[in-house]
Amino acid sequence: MTQKLIEDLLSFLVSAVIQGSIYSLLALGFSLVYGVGGILNQAHGAFYVIATYIMYVFINGLAGVGFTLGLIFSLGITTIIGGLIYLVLIKPLKESHVSVVIVTFAFAFFIEYLVGILVDRIPHKIEDYFIYFGASERFFTVFGVDIQYQEILIFIVATLLVILITLFIKKSKLGKSIRAVAQDSEAAELMGINVDKILAYTLMISAFLAAIAAIINGPLGTVTPYAGWPILINSFAIVVLGGLGSLPGSVLGAYILAFASRFTQSFINPIFGALIPIVVIVIMLIIRPRGIFGKKEID
Amino acid sequence: MGVILEVKNLTKKFAGLTAVNDMSFEIQRGEFVGLIGPNGAGKTTIFNVISGLEKPNSGSIRFDGRDITGMKPHKIVNLGLVRTFQLVRSFKFMTLLDNINVSCLSPRGKEIAKEYGIDEYSSTILGSVGLIDKARLPPVILPHGDLRKLQIGKALGTNPQLLLLDEPFSGLSHEEAVDITELIESLHSDGVTVFVTGHVLRELMGLVPRVIAMHQGKFIADGPPKEVANNKIVLEAYLGRGGTFA
Amino acid sequence: MKKRKDLKTVLNDFKSYLRFWIKTFRGQVTVLCLIGLAILPFITTNTYIIGIFNTFMIYTIFAASWDFLAGYVGQVSFGHAIFLGVSAYVTAFTVKFFLFPWWFALILGAFFAVLFGLIVGVPSLRLKGPYLALGTLSMSLILYELFKMSSLGLLWEATFPGTELFGTTGIGQIIIFTDIPQIFYIVIFIIMCVVVVFLTHFVKSNTGTILKAIRDDETGAKASGINTTKYKVIAFMISGFIAGIAGGLFTFRHTGVNPGIFQPLYSFYAIIMAALGGIATISGSALGAFIFVFLGEILRLLGDNPNITGTIGGFVEPIFVFSIILIIIIRFAEHGLLKPALERLKSLWDLILGR
Repeated sequence: MTQKLIEDLLSFLVSAVIQGSIYSLLALGFSLVYGVGGILNQAHGAFYVIATYIMYVFINGLAGVGFTLGLIFSLGITTIIGGLIYLVLIKPLKESHVSVVIVTFAFAFFIEYLVGILVDRIPHKIEDYFIYFGASERFFTVFGVDIQYQEILIFIVATLLVILITLFIKKSKLGKSIRAVAQDSEAAELMGINVDKILAYTLMISAFLAAIAAIINGPLGTVTPYAGWPILINSFAIVVLGGLGSLPGSVLGAYILAFASRFTQSFINPIFGALIPIVVIVIMLIIRPRGIFGKKEID
Repeated sequence: MGVILEVKNLTKKFAGLTAVNDMSFEIQRGEFVGLIGPNGAGKTTIFNVISGLEKPNSGSIRFDGRDITGMKPHKIVNLGLVRTFQLVRSFKFMTLLDNINVSCLSPRGKEIAKEYGIDEYSSTILGSVGLIDKARLPPVILPHGDLRKLQIGKALGTNPQLLLLDEPFSGLSHEEAVDITELIESLHSDGVTVFVTGHVLRELMGLVPRVIAMHQGKFIADGPPKEVANNKIVLEAYLGRGGTFA
Repeated sequence: MKKRKDLKTVLNDFKSYLRFWIKTFRGQVTVLCLIGLAILPFITTNTYIIGIFNTFMIYTIFAASWDFLAGYVGQVSFGHAIFLGVSAYVTAFTVKFFLFPWWFALILGAFFAVLFGLIVGVPSLRLKGPYLALGTLSMSLILYELFKMSSLGLLWEATFPGTELFGTTGIGQIIIFTDIPQIFYIVIFIIMCVVVVFLTHFVKSNTGTILKAIRDDETGAKASGINTTKYKVIAFMISGFIAGIAGGLFTFRHTGVNPGIFQPLYSFYAIIMAALGGIATISGSALGAFIFVFLGEILRLLGDNPNITGTIGGFVEPIFVFSIILIIIIRFAEHGLLKPALERLKSLWDLILGR
């Protein structure tokens, strides 16, 4: 009996940590864009979709060099699109928040259907990276639980990136400018910071992080055009939970949401598991809209 | 008579900056009081806290005998405490008449306005602030002075007991300032308690019989304008900061 | 000052307003379109055409509900599919399994739609900021996942045998309340007219003035003594109820409903249609719905055409095209196409009449 319990617990722990890792990357980018530019980017999920499909096309199409090419193009193109979205869609409409939100929403659909047209709408799987490079097995067993090498990769890469981004924001010149704009964009402009450039970079960072998440999660997830939406919703829920504009809040919120989701799914009921994001959103908006670490008063 | 506004030990901080620091004062019903201080002294913040737009960190505010600390802004308005804004606000895409109508449709405003018909009541208010001939125009095309009159008109629609006017003279030409001064004086003589801010003492000197002075969030003086103008601390605050004076 | 107007004066005012309106170009165009719409089912029995116009009218109701909330109250919802879907399901369920009369099911459906909307609406509307958009989107997505679940479907059928609710097949084989297509069409037509007339005049009422004030400057409205949260919630409920009516009609139009109705797609439809016609023009929703339905149908037919195949053919996908159109419109023509279109028509008309 206890053997099964330990196995279930371990399995739950692994999947929760992995989901938390992926979502911390996604929530970090989403929160950054909101904190710095006041933009709730509806196309955030689209970044993930773009990166996923590019990776899929290269890996499943070309053996050997496909992975490297896929990596480069996936990261590169997604990041560039992040900057383009700012320049073409957001910047010209900055006076009207409503317009920005509608136009990024439209862009999310544009991507969803574009990938469906360029590839197809059938769900696909990306080949496991370790198998791709010649491993004989994709997992190893510990305490009776199968842990995939991919999952270890996810955890390492995600944690690394969270640390890197945090250091970057804290220490680098660009990071300091980003924080200045987040605090007070008018004052930052007066100090000589090109706010437009900073916002563009922020969006590119956000896209980059989403692309990383897409790449490392590739083999575990499914390649579908629709994948952007659950990502947007979960990013929103996490950021409401952790605090809009708070980076530690995003990471903490990601893990809390992941654990709550997985726990409900594994030990209570998968049906309730699906409800977790909306429950989190509604409860947080009622009791503490600014989130756990949020600072601004918003009611 | 009686005390209509009582502010006790009011403090408001923003991310390390103390905008209002332990302010206390009382205003009697029917008084005409000025609040002066150099730019950045905390005058608008005090107005924001009193009118409910911001919550204080500590201290209390009592209006007409009730504790209104932390109350929602619209509820405070419906008790009879209304403020105007330093940066003029209006409903840009509606006519002046509709702008006033909104205030008249507040629960407190409606009590009176519905006796006469909302439009008619608003028209009367527009007349009393001298804007009746522009009733069907939108605020976007009005000169600054008219927009300030509009704000006062909007405040009147709620049938206020106490009017907080935030820098009503700023940005006005001499004639416009005279207009507004006459308007405010007539409001006061109609029985409305008026609490008005300014950063140029000269503007308020001839207008109000009593002035409260603040600097960097703190209370520094309270009395007739001539006294306050000669107060040493007040002089330091203004001259030290290079602000204009009497 | 005189006392407020009595009922007789109000009616007289309305009559003279109508008389004035009929003489305007806009009024005449509207009346002509309405007449054309009304007689359509009597001059053709083609079910395909009648079906498209039914969809067009239902979507007009849906778009108008969204446009009211976004254009007049300034609250943007990305989850109007919630209302469409909840109402569609409730209507379908009560009609199929409880044999409720159609009009009662419709109202009940709209009522439940509002209830579900309020779950996420009330917390969002209390706050400043864009929470409503993502809050409603999240709710609709969760409902989509929930209603898709086959496990839940099986659970439901086990608990309430003989009925269906959850599961990918949804609820099917709904019987329309009449066999005569003309009656169904005219019912939708009347409901559409009632909704549009109601909304058009509601926004001109005192409550409408308050809502517009909230849209223009919410803090200023609060400073004028208005309980903005209360009014935002009221507007949200009205919008949701009307969208719910559209949802119930949708069920009858398609003789069934499935979880797909909760997809972000349907919320997107509302936005496209409202934007095409001009956000903050209720009648613009009709123009927007018209363009959306008919252009969409043309695109769909093009896509099905065997001569247009492969990837190039794929680009004719309606949603793809409309997402681009919407981006272009928002970027370049924020006020929609209704006013410019009417102006062009008017100059053309003047030209023809030699003015």
